[in-house]
Amino acid sequence: MPRYLSSALEALLAVAVVSALTSALLPTVGLESASLLFLLPVLIAATRGGTVPAMIAALAGAAAYNYFLLEPRFTFRVHRLDNLVSVFVLCAVAVVTGRLATRLLAREAEANERADASAEAATLAGLLSIEPATEAIDRALSYLSARYGQVVLVDEAGSSAGEGGFSSLDQSAAAWALHNGDVTGHGTLTMAAADWTFFPLVRRNRPGDAVLALARPATGLTRTRGSIEGVAALCLLIGQSRDRENLLRERRERELAEARDRLRSTFLASLAHDFRTPLTVIAGRLEQLERERPDARDALIAARRLDGMMANLLAAARIEGGSLSVSRESLDLVDVIGGVCDHLVLPEEVRIIREVAADLPFVQGDPVLLHHVLANLVDNALRHARSKVTVAARDEGGRVVISVEDDGTGVAEAERALIFERFRRIEGSDRTDGSGLGLAIVKDFADAMGMDVEVGQGSSGGARFEVSAPCVKVGQA
Amino acid sequence: MSRIMCIDDEPAILRLLEVVLRRGGHEVLPAVNARAALAALAQGPIDAVLLDLGLPDRDGLELLGLIRARCDAPVVVVSARGEVQEKVTALDLGASDYVTKPFDGDELLARLRVALRGSGRSITKAEVLEHGPLSMDIPRHETRISGKLVALTPKEFAVLQALVEADGRVVTHGALLESVWGKAHRDDVEYLRVVIRALRLKIEEDPARPQFIRNEPGIGYRLS
Repeated sequence: MPRYLSSALEALLAVAVVSALTSALLPTVGLESASLLFLLPVLIAATRGGTVPAMIAALAGAAAYNYFLLEPRFTFRVHRLDNLVSVFVLCAVAVVTGRLATRLLAREAEANERADASAEAATLAGLLSIEPATEAIDRALSYLSARYGQVVLVDEAGSSAGEGGFSSLDQSAAAWALHNGDVTGHGTLTMAAADWTFFPLVRRNRPGDAVLALARPATGLTRTRGSIEGVAALCLLIGQSRDRENLLRERRERELAEARDRLRSTFLASLAHDFRTPLTVIAGRLEQLERERPDARDALIAARRLDGMMANLLAAARIEGGSLSVSRESLDLVDVIGGVCDHLVLPEEVRIIREVAADLPFVQGDPVLLHHVLANLVDNALRHARSKVTVAARDEGGRVVISVEDDGTGVAEAERALIFERFRRIEGSDRTDGSGLGLAIVKDFADAMGMDVEVGQGSSGGARFEVSAPCVKVGQA
Repeated sequence: MSRIMCIDDEPAILRLLEVVLRRGGHEVLPAVNARAALAALAQGPIDAVLLDLGLPDRDGLELLGLIRARCDAPVVVVSARGEVQEKVTALDLGASDYVTKPFDGDELLARLRVALRGSGRSITKAEVLEHGPLSMDIPRHETRISGKLVALTPKEFAVLQALVEADGRVVTHGALLESVWGKAHRDDVEYLRVVIRALRLKIEEDPARPQFIRNEPGIGYRLS
């Protein structure tokens, strides 16, 4: 039974009791005191039920006073005008005390609600403090579920997959809550027709990665604003806990990845060591042999090339593993090109021509990676050249273009786009040797340093590779 | 004839080194691990050490520290991993120089010759430094190349002096920057590039193909 109805009935009962009492005791207490007694039911009704029951008590009291006490008794006729004053007084008291009481009652209700909310928050915080956080969040969800009805945690993937059979309106509401950080759906002003209410897990105006869905109450009634606000506050607590968990997980993952990287580079380093040790013996002995027998030169060149291949395999493993670290230094191309071309053991019939000015701008790049890029291009050119390889560099205002050109058969136009693909070998030309790894690494390393690499046709019809490297800005050096 | 201790766990490499070093007129003292090397070090005087960093029983860089603590013989590190950082660390820890496997026999002998030359020199600094056609009069701040006077800025002079004092050994970027610009500029390789280029334009015959100041990618410079 609604509260004001029961208070009204109580008020009527009180009026009846007062009427009976005063009409019996009228000769002893007198009319003045008896009329005052009719204030009692009004006050009681006002404090217990507010204005409406108080008014009912006032009107009923006035009527009863008139009927039972005022002359002529047991009629509603009013003899003297001043008797009406008591009726007005009763009504005025009813209105004023009713208002006051209503306000007090509202405050009390608010205080109770607040106490409930903080008790809920405390319980939830307790549940969220246990480890591991995933279990804590599960427990918090079942706590909310027990108090408010079915709840579901919906993340970005879940909302699009329609988890829990959300209608399209619910899915839209979930997406809105997720991206705008607003409480959305049933019981709110946004998409109120939805069956669920969606609560963001982060503060307003920030997009989150998950929302909490709360089903419409089983009674079919609409949730009040107060309860929605309460749940919204609790959801923020859950959100904080998830954030903490996410941070921890990210840190764990990062540590794991770092450990994996360390292991990988240790492994690659020992692999290089294991490979280079026998190669050193082979190349060293071939070098001795070549002193006496010049025809051993090919074998020596081949052994040296094996080392280049090993370097390429290691580079590929680094690129694949994502553990490539790139430094940005200013580099003098005179150094870089010298480092690649000096000390090369050349085939008998091929020579290298260098066309590099001593005053080119410095380029920005990683010394080891750029060396590797040019060493691979020169190696590739040497394998295809008939008589010469030209290494040149020119200033193009803001960038320096390094070109490596051979006088071999060149690369057909249709094949140029594919030549930097890993394990790609050009069919139908003499460029069938090699694994295709070298040029793929050229491209990957150049990309990593912010350099472009292109292939075209050289002046003598051979292949011409161009690496365009950014210059160091003036004033930086 | 110099006594060179070669430390490598691979007997085939030790035999190869023996052949190469004997060609250069050296006597070889092989050691297959760190323990044998330390034992041999206690036996008698050694002129230089060739140290492979990948040893089975001890970290190569750690052994480098132990050797440096026990004798003055220059240590040339043989690196098979090819990691630039490893070489720089070895040089910072007191290695004289490095070679990378697979090495060129002539290059190895040249490095060793330079390392041996460096160790024999007296500690007091000479007033006039010479390297090939280059001579530097330190008190008078004068540099001559083949007798011809070259005007150098103070920074250029200081960098060149550090390289000449190293006498062919590699000097790391960090060491050059620290000695010329100070500790705070250890990582400012750009400063060095600018000065090296200016130096080359003044002293190299063909600055586009420098034969005198050589670069070691990612590591440093040396005079040849």
